[in-house]
Amino acid sequence: MAVAVETLRAHHTLWGDAFIRLRRNRLAVAGVIVIILLTLGAIIQPLFSPYGFAKQDLYSILQGPSRAHPLGTDELGRDVFTRLMAGCRTSLAVGIFTQVIVVLIGLPIGAFAASMGGRVDNLLMRFVDVMYAFPDILLIILLRSIFGGSIYMIFLAIGLVAWVNVSRLTRGQILSLKERDFVTAARAMGARGIYTTLRHLLPHALGPIIVAVTFNVPRAIFAEAALSYIGIGVKPPTPSWGTMIRDGYDLIFAAPYLVTFPALAIGILMLSFTFLGDGLRDALDPRLRR
Amino acid sequence: MEMDVLLEVNNLIKYFPITSGLFLQRVIAQVKAVDGVSFALSKGETLGLVGESGCGKTTVGRSILQLYRPTAGQVIFQGKDLCRLSEKELRPLRQKLQIIFQDPYDSLDPRLTAEDIIGEPMRIQGTIRGRAYRERVAELLNIVGLAPYMAELYPHEFSGGQRQRVGVARALALEPSFIVCDEPVSALDVSIQAQIINLLDDLQQQFSIAYLFIAHDLSVVRHISDRVAVMYLGKIIELCDRDELYKNPLHPYTRALLSAVPIPDPLVEEQRAPIILKGEVPSPINPPSGCPFHPRCFSAFEPCPTVVPEFADVGGGHLVSCLLYPPSWPQSRTEG
Amino acid sequence: MSALLEVRNLSTYFYTQDGVIKAVDGVSYEVARGETIALVGESGCGKTVSGLSILRLIPEPPGKIVSGEIIFDGVNLLELSKDDMREIRGAKISMIFQEPMTSLNPVLTVGRQISEALETHLRMGRQEAHQEAVRLLELVGIPHPERRAKDYPHHFSGGMRQRVGIAMAISCHPQLIIADEPTTALDVTIQAQLLELLRSITKELGTALILITHNLGIVARYARRVYVMYAGRIVEHGPAVAVYHDARHPYTVGLLTSVPRLDEERKTRLVPIEGQPPDLLYPPQGCPFYPRCSHAGTCELEEGKELVEVAPGHYSACWVAQRGLTPWKWTSS
Repeated sequence: MAVAVETLRAHHTLWGDAFIRLRRNRLAVAGVIVIILLTLGAIIQPLFSPYGFAKQDLYSILQGPSRAHPLGTDELGRDVFTRLMAGCRTSLAVGIFTQVIVVLIGLPIGAFAASMGGRVDNLLMRFVDVMYAFPDILLIILLRSIFGGSIYMIFLAIGLVAWVNVSRLTRGQILSLKERDFVTAARAMGARGIYTTLRHLLPHALGPIIVAVTFNVPRAIFAEAALSYIGIGVKPPTPSWGTMIRDGYDLIFAAPYLVTFPALAIGILMLSFTFLGDGLRDALDPRLRR
Repeated sequence: MEMDVLLEVNNLIKYFPITSGLFLQRVIAQVKAVDGVSFALSKGETLGLVGESGCGKTTVGRSILQLYRPTAGQVIFQGKDLCRLSEKELRPLRQKLQIIFQDPYDSLDPRLTAEDIIGEPMRIQGTIRGRAYRERVAELLNIVGLAPYMAELYPHEFSGGQRQRVGVARALALEPSFIVCDEPVSALDVSIQAQIINLLDDLQQQFSIAYLFIAHDLSVVRHISDRVAVMYLGKIIELCDRDELYKNPLHPYTRALLSAVPIPDPLVEEQRAPIILKGEVPSPINPPSGCPFHPRCFSAFEPCPTVVPEFADVGGGHLVSCLLYPPSWPQSRTEG
Repeated sequence: MSALLEVRNLSTYFYTQDGVIKAVDGVSYEVARGETIALVGESGCGKTVSGLSILRLIPEPPGKIVSGEIIFDGVNLLELSKDDMREIRGAKISMIFQEPMTSLNPVLTVGRQISEALETHLRMGRQEAHQEAVRLLELVGIPHPERRAKDYPHHFSGGMRQRVGIAMAISCHPQLIIADEPTTALDVTIQAQLLELLRSITKELGTALILITHNLGIVARYARRVYVMYAGRIVEHGPAVAVYHDARHPYTVGLLTSVPRLDEERKTRLVPIEGQPPDLLYPPQGCPFYPRCSHAGTCELEEGKELVEVAPGHYSACWVAQRGLTPWKWTSS
């Protein structure tokens, strides 16, 4: 009674299929390449640079781009290129580690609220609403004044204000999936709640969460730069693009490149993550598949 | 047909509350999805449950399996009332009570392979493992007519009919004695429906499984069932043998339903004219008083809006709930 | 009398990333004035696409009407300009869609949607159009039409919405209505109400009707002539009685034996069509049904594209049937 069928189309796993679709998106691929290049640059360049990012050379202050200093020097003679790459480390670190915190807090809260439903869900979501309404800057200033300006504090501060969106997203995803037949099927087989959540619900919710996190990264990067710009971000000597802009701002007419390069760097890195996020969203959308 | 009763449903009721309010959710109304359903099912028998949207047939199926916890009533299986059991106590019984869903695209987790899906009952129940597990999955694939290589494919790589076969294989995994078939062929193409109907038929012959076959297509229901129950607004209004239903429908709704189903034969159709009911199906939140069908009934008479008819046997196992046929109705049925 | 609508050799293809989908591949049919015909087939057979092609509602890209002619009242619709085509749509030829929720505009009242068409096509004034809209709502059986004309689509149930769809379709007195699975999403008693309504209206107004459906029962009840479609082609057509009682194509036979009938005497086993419908990206050469045909032994693979008359007014694309043979009758009871 066997029914023989030939599958004429190639066999892909779901992630494999998403990957192929992502590859086709040129902007996303460009974004990934830029991110990789900047990451490599951030890691390698400061190691091999003839200049330390804090090394002052008062004989060569405020020099425009040249062979010796590809992006020029600042008012203390420090090499801009090296500082830029060092700042890139900071930005990338902030981008990634804040999201780790966001996922570690937001995902379980959202998943728990959605799975429990009823009053528990209600209470948790009101708590989330309160967190959302809480002014971010205040919290950051508060944390900064208590814990100082180390980069870990920045991770924590930005992470603590950003997890709310991910928790809401996770909750929404799981709620919409709870009523699907394949979940009911699992219950009909005697599955416990946790099993269903882990095996069936979360893997489905992962797609939009990955996309949201990817879009969060440039926001975190910008947040750190902005905080450093107004002086409550990372403390010098930790390099930061925001700090570079602030320091270079006074000399903006004399040496515009001091502001332009870090600003461009921020823009390019943010844009790259945004393109990647766009591409991921299209690639992971099950409806667009064939 | 064996007479040993496998499953007994007594006055099953399922209401869904409608709440309102920010923090303290007050119940302002009830959707009376299932409003007193009773029947008995024997081993290896198929009971067809037919009705239109909103009649509650899907809710009946899920309530019996305790996927919705009934508001009231009893579901007696293997001597126990399922409604009184906790989820933990129900778990081992779930091996014998299974369900096949309507939507082949929704009832399978798109992230799992066919093998994972079919084997999931065994993994959850923990009864069969290791080599026996793999063998059983292969056996199930074969029983439902799928090729062995399909075990590694994902749902999106199957056609609708094949997905439904995977769903059937999954339901069979732990040798159930009762399966709720919730519109299992409605979403399939006509030529594929026949394949699945035959498959279900064969499986019933082979493994003596009882089915509650829920559908809105009366032709399909009549074909596969031994007995048929017609539902309207949460109640069963007629229940009888499949041939009896066609030859001698008693309830006006049943008669309207039968006449509305077109038969694929132009010569036969020339002789038929559908009974056109007036109005639409009322909302289950606010069902009509007395007999729920009376506002649309072409045979309604004086007591209908006030008296709720009893669901009773009028002879030969033919149950109907209509004031035209009081339980003391004589055997000789000559109708005008 | 010449036919009202004549579709000649229509081909509509879809150009996708994976390849070309030949949704409709050389299809011809005709409708006489006031006649009801049916296009029957399963999903993917091309019946809906052919209906949309008549009204040139195919999204381009990825679709394209590649070849053929659609002669309506003497004029080839495929050669008309977009403006001229707009004059035809809704006025001379109208369509009823399967999903009433998506074919009605959710932000306009129901009355407005109908009167809009009347104002545009019949050049009625606002007042007059509104009154006619109310009259139409009453005609299709919507209670309290004056009041309900001010309601929005989401205030109506599925059956009521489809009645509105019918009202819109007949509003400008079209000569032809294309009904694409008009009752598939509805309950069977509502289906009966609507189809009877459609039958009486088309009879009264003398409108021709193309009924596109997969339901063999509906076809038997309402259509005079039937076109059976498979994989983008017509495999058999003729008077309904002939096609049902003297089917001359194995696919038609397969459909008829695989469908349970309400009036079957005792429980007869269904005879399904084995296999799956073809993937339209890689359609079979020659006869599209060959891979699934249980009578393929007697057949030549390359044939099966041409429709040949096998009985008066009754055409089949089956190589075997064209030679006067009907092997399916030998094996079935």
